[in-house]
Amino acid sequence: MGRKFDIHYLLDFLPKLLSYLHITLFIVAASILLGLVVGFIIALPRLYKIPVLQRASQVYVSFFRGTPILIQLFLIYYGLPELLKLVHIDVSRANVLVFVILAYALHSGAFISEAIRAAVNGVDRGQVEAAYAIGMSGYQAFTRIVLPQALAISIPILANLVIGNLKDTSLAFTLGAMEMTGKSQTLASATQHFIETYIALSLIYFVISTILERTFHYLERRLLRHEKQVAEPAVRYGKRRLWKRTLITRLEKGG
Amino acid sequence: MSLDPGFIWTAFLSLFKALPNTLYITIVSVFVGFIIGTAIALIRIYRIPVLYPLASAYVLFIRGTPMLMHLLLIYFGLPIIIDGLASALGLGFNSTVIPLIGFAYISFSITAGAYMSEVVRAGILSVNRGQMEAAYSIGMTTPQALRRIVLPQALAVCLPNLSNNLIGMLHGSTLAFTVSVVEINAQAQIVAATNWKFLEAYIAAAVLFWGMTILIEQATAWLERRINKYNRGGVA
Amino acid sequence: MIELKQISKSFGKNQVLQSIDLTVEKGEVVVILGPSGSGKTTLLRCINYLEKPDNGQIRIGDFKLDFKTAGKKDIHNLRQRSAMVFQHYNLFKHKTALENVMEGLLIVQKLPKDEARRRSTQMLEKVGLAAKLDAYPSELSGGQQQRVGIARALALNPEVILFDEPTSALDPELVGEVLDVIRKIAGEGITMIVVTHEMGFARDVANHVVFMDGGVIVEEGKPSELFGKPKEERTKQFLKRIAPEPSYSI
Repeated sequence: MGRKFDIHYLLDFLPKLLSYLHITLFIVAASILLGLVVGFIIALPRLYKIPVLQRASQVYVSFFRGTPILIQLFLIYYGLPELLKLVHIDVSRANVLVFVILAYALHSGAFISEAIRAAVNGVDRGQVEAAYAIGMSGYQAFTRIVLPQALAISIPILANLVIGNLKDTSLAFTLGAMEMTGKSQTLASATQHFIETYIALSLIYFVISTILERTFHYLERRLLRHEKQVAEPAVRYGKRRLWKRTLITRLEKGG
Repeated sequence: MSLDPGFIWTAFLSLFKALPNTLYITIVSVFVGFIIGTAIALIRIYRIPVLYPLASAYVLFIRGTPMLMHLLLIYFGLPIIIDGLASALGLGFNSTVIPLIGFAYISFSITAGAYMSEVVRAGILSVNRGQMEAAYSIGMTTPQALRRIVLPQALAVCLPNLSNNLIGMLHGSTLAFTVSVVEINAQAQIVAATNWKFLEAYIAAAVLFWGMTILIEQATAWLERRINKYNRGGVA
Repeated sequence: MIELKQISKSFGKNQVLQSIDLTVEKGEVVVILGPSGSGKTTLLRCINYLEKPDNGQIRIGDFKLDFKTAGKKDIHNLRQRSAMVFQHYNLFKHKTALENVMEGLLIVQKLPKDEARRRSTQMLEKVGLAAKLDAYPSELSGGQQQRVGIARALALNPEVILFDEPTSALDPELVGEVLDVIRKIAGEGITMIVVTHEMGFARDVANHVVFMDGGVIVEEGKPSELFGKPKEERTKQFLKRIAPEPSYSI
């Protein structure tokens, strides 16, 4: 199973794999953007309780959350051309990336619609009432009051989705897409240095997802600046907070 | 559109041959993952020296890399380590004794462990500090308090997340095809390729996974109602 | 008898207990008074080792412990001799009233199940909750929860029961029922240390009142002495603030 471990291959593979990073990131960015559109469309019937459509969007979400992404990739790869044949569009020569991006977009769309629902429902009802009370219209209340707060709530969920999406793109190679993992497969089988390849590849995924996580964390902190003022009075209970910090050691000392 | 609805049923039936492998992988990885996760969560909550940074690094790395990487790293890396040790120590075996599905068990347990540790940790931290103090005050030891008071309450809190992880591992088991384990996805590929009916085979696989997922969700909802009987509310 | 010697405790730079000495006789009801932040709750928690003092010794009956050198066994031993009633009840949320009381008997004292059930039922009857044996904490009012908390402590038959502001989280109309229960068990000769703001209760029930401020015991004595003619200026100030003297005499 492969040749002897050689760290030079690892260092050699890093730049080779990195030269395909932009394709991976393109898949992530394109599918998340498209997924946001899909997510909004899917969330709306449920937020506004539109009959029939509400049921349809429930089924959509259940299906895309209820089946593995790998199966979804194959379904779209083989199913979409058949569907489009009905309306006489030939996509048999379309770039495989189109299918990949579409699959990830539909997949994340289901999760994003749930995040949107959770976020909108997470905004305190009193906020909307207060907006109405000062004479805002429904649209104004939504865009000026609900949306900014919902956005802040949904950032951590979105962060998880984006990072999850990044990791899921490693499966695109099964359709023959040439992104980082696809490239790693050819590198590994050509050189027979499997473990070096996958260590290098893991390192890249790790760094990218860490950077993404930090970025979202920063964004969240900025969006939640208003929460700080709420937390401020806690300083008055300075002793209490200290007490909390000692909890860990205290539990450790116990029985 | 050339779809053969009858073949979806044929494919569906043949997928059941591979169902046990999918279930084995899912159950083993979730079960072992839960044990690893609980240990990691306790190490991180109690900040046990030496182990604490290791546990944090483990969780960080696993959560930051695709599950496919874990599988491939174990599949290609573990034999190197085992064979190296075996020849150095003069043991009479090598890595070929590990069945292919064993690599899936090991690597997916490692994956699940990291995700489970976050779930368990959140659950434990959600239990009010007063519960632990009350347990101490009636004379319980820390292990007693954790086992009898904190964990049962934490479990109820993290049940939805546990169920999500279970579904995640069920779906993740499809990756095992990359190390030639014939689970449902691999079986679908085989059925598809031998009959040249790809779409039908994957529809069948999707339906099977969808059904199992809905089953897990229903079971979770039922369990939640039962476990949370003490949260019947009323006067606070 | 309970004896505390030179108990000191700091949280960071903030010294909350400064070499506290306190003796409690068997069967005595001691009430600790003091403004918030005076260290009275911390002192109570030290007795149950929910807080680890930096220094000091404790003696409960024939059991002695030095906080500096205490090992796991000693801590466990100390905790078995005392029981605590918490401000926020801290009932085990996933267990019924009966199970809450039984838990310590089964797990710590290793009583057989029937025996534990019998004794727990008896204790819950004593606090007037015979009808609520199978209720979960979430189904009980604050006053009922606190009475379960008292039954839980009482069932263990400890040498001392520690009450940490047992009524301060309760709605005013529920305070009475809890104080009545405490008063009742005080009459049975159980040693109790109570941190409270209920002056009337302290006056009626306590044998001994301790006034703490700034991490030290400012003054202690019989309730009639401490409430009647306090010696220290700080005590006078505190009593005036918390229970202003009536402007008329009856």
